[in-house]
Amino acid sequence: MPSVDQASEAMTAKGARGHGEVIISFENLSLSFGSKLILDNINLDVARGEFLCVIGPSGCGKTTMLRLLAGLLTPSAGQILYQGLPVSGPRPDVAVLFQDYVKALLPWRTVFGNVSLALEAAQVPRKLRRDKIMAHLELVGLADHAEKYPTQLSGGMQQRLQIARCLAQDPEVLLMDEPFGALDAMTRQALQDEMQELASVSGCTIFFVTHDLEEAVYLGDRVIGLLPHPGRVGREFEVNISRPRDQLTTPEKPEFLQLRHELYSFIKLVEHG
Amino acid sequence: MYMLHRFERPLWFLGSVLVALGFIGIWQIVASSGLVSNVFLPGPDRTFRALLAGLESGVLTGKFFSTVQHMFYGWFIASLIGISLGAIIGTSRMAQVYVAPSLELLRPLPASALVPVAIAFLGLSTSMVLFIIGFGALWPMLLSTIHGFTSVEPRLNEVSRILRLTKMQYIFKIALPNAMPDILAGMRLSLTVALILAVVGEMLSGQDGLGQWILASGRMFRSPDLFAGVILLGALGYMSATLLTWFEQWVLRWRNEG
Ligand SMILES: Nc1ncnc2c1ncn2[C@@H]1O[C@H](COP(=O)(O)OP(=O)(O)O)[C@@H](O)[C@H]1O
Ligand SMILES: [Mg+2]
Repeated sequence: MPSVDQASEAMTAKGARGHGEVIISFENLSLSFGSKLILDNINLDVARGEFLCVIGPSGCGKTTMLRLLAGLLTPSAGQILYQGLPVSGPRPDVAVLFQDYVKALLPWRTVFGNVSLALEAAQVPRKLRRDKIMAHLELVGLADHAEKYPTQLSGGMQQRLQIARCLAQDPEVLLMDEPFGALDAMTRQALQDEMQELASVSGCTIFFVTHDLEEAVYLGDRVIGLLPHPGRVGREFEVNISRPRDQLTTPEKPEFLQLRHELYSFIKLVEHG
Repeated sequence: MYMLHRFERPLWFLGSVLVALGFIGIWQIVASSGLVSNVFLPGPDRTFRALLAGLESGVLTGKFFSTVQHMFYGWFIASLIGISLGAIIGTSRMAQVYVAPSLELLRPLPASALVPVAIAFLGLSTSMVLFIIGFGALWPMLLSTIHGFTSVEPRLNEVSRILRLTKMQYIFKIALPNAMPDILAGMRLSLTVALILAVVGEMLSGQDGLGQWILASGRMFRSPDLFAGVILLGALGYMSATLLTWFEQWVLRWRNEG
């Protein structure tokens, strides 16, 4: 991990949560497409190692926010600081997991080859690649499928493959855009638990966009609720539920039910005025 | 593509052989009946005798390989130029804006329209034949390569940006494999064009080959020799297409899995 630089230290005072230093900071960030204001004056700090979930009605700018953070878009006003420096483009230590895994994988490469792409991009010498790739495939349970092509895998396995490719970037931050939205309930729960495990093992900071309120509470340390037209931060919800969380018992806890209730009320209010 | 089952394959093969034999049978009947003078239409018997004689003496074999050479070199040059130019145009917005319109102007030109120009500059030479083949075979390659390079899934372009692939990495790891099905389709088309233009080029220039052989045999009313040449041309077209199919199945094996 890079040493704490002074800029982020200065940021800490501004309102990072708990123990962590601020790694990402949205500062008066606005974005317009043409004359249409999409995101309006967003201020938000993300602590290193935090699991941050972002919810909000469809079209409120969640994906746009993630793309700005990934360096795929440039702000119209304000800025995003990453470890104290303005984001000016994609970075090797920021990985993005897309919802549409079918489109995000290379159909002409095997499972092994798809993970390899991240290492090739980082100029990792060929000799060192094999072990790293297999280790990452092991981590997501795909080691036995290394020689298959993506089309030969189930949806859940394809998304695991994309996760493995992201991990191969050895990221500090993982941006996920409704990653499990297209999967069936059982697979989604399994992947949520794997994600929880990976997050705690890797120590990655995670920016997780979802429209599934329960998923947000189940996974997040904090949930940000966005307001639409234009997109703004509406409310923040602290999730003080002990980890590791469990698919069976966690949703029965009073804290969980309480938060779920608040999130539903928030979304209802937003959607129906 | 429709996949043949394990049992259908031999049946299908047997069927096609029977059909071919049927055609040869009809050909023999028509030729023997005297409906068409056998100065123009030799029967399969005389044709195959001429074919065997030509192959044994090595004359037809030589013509065959001359045509193979013309066709292959012309096609190869066209593929090289078509794929590299297509890759450049397909990955550069500048090239698309500035070069593409001129290409649209050149593309509808039939290769035969350029024959007089080619003869004026290159004479009745092998270079002239190769130029004509290359020009005609270039377009399917070029257009399909451009299409393949510009039809990369937008999400994959984002993945490339996120992983910060260099331009070269992007071309060789993303755009080229993505264009491969299109490129192979273009290769198939241009292979046919190359064979046709090889024959036309040989007829016009008198350069050694099956085209020149067929023309000469026709002029001398040696119709069995003429038909033998045509049969070899058919065989050449069939063999080259089959080789390309094998190559295609190997390159695109990721499509056939699962
Ligand atoms: N490239 C674009 N050009 C113009 N408008 C866009 C573009 N991308 C997204 N938008 C608009 O921005 C708004 C936010 O979109 P998005 O961030 O995808 O929302 P969400 O992910 O929350 O559903 C939407 O109204 C959408 O129509
Ligand atoms: Mg979205």
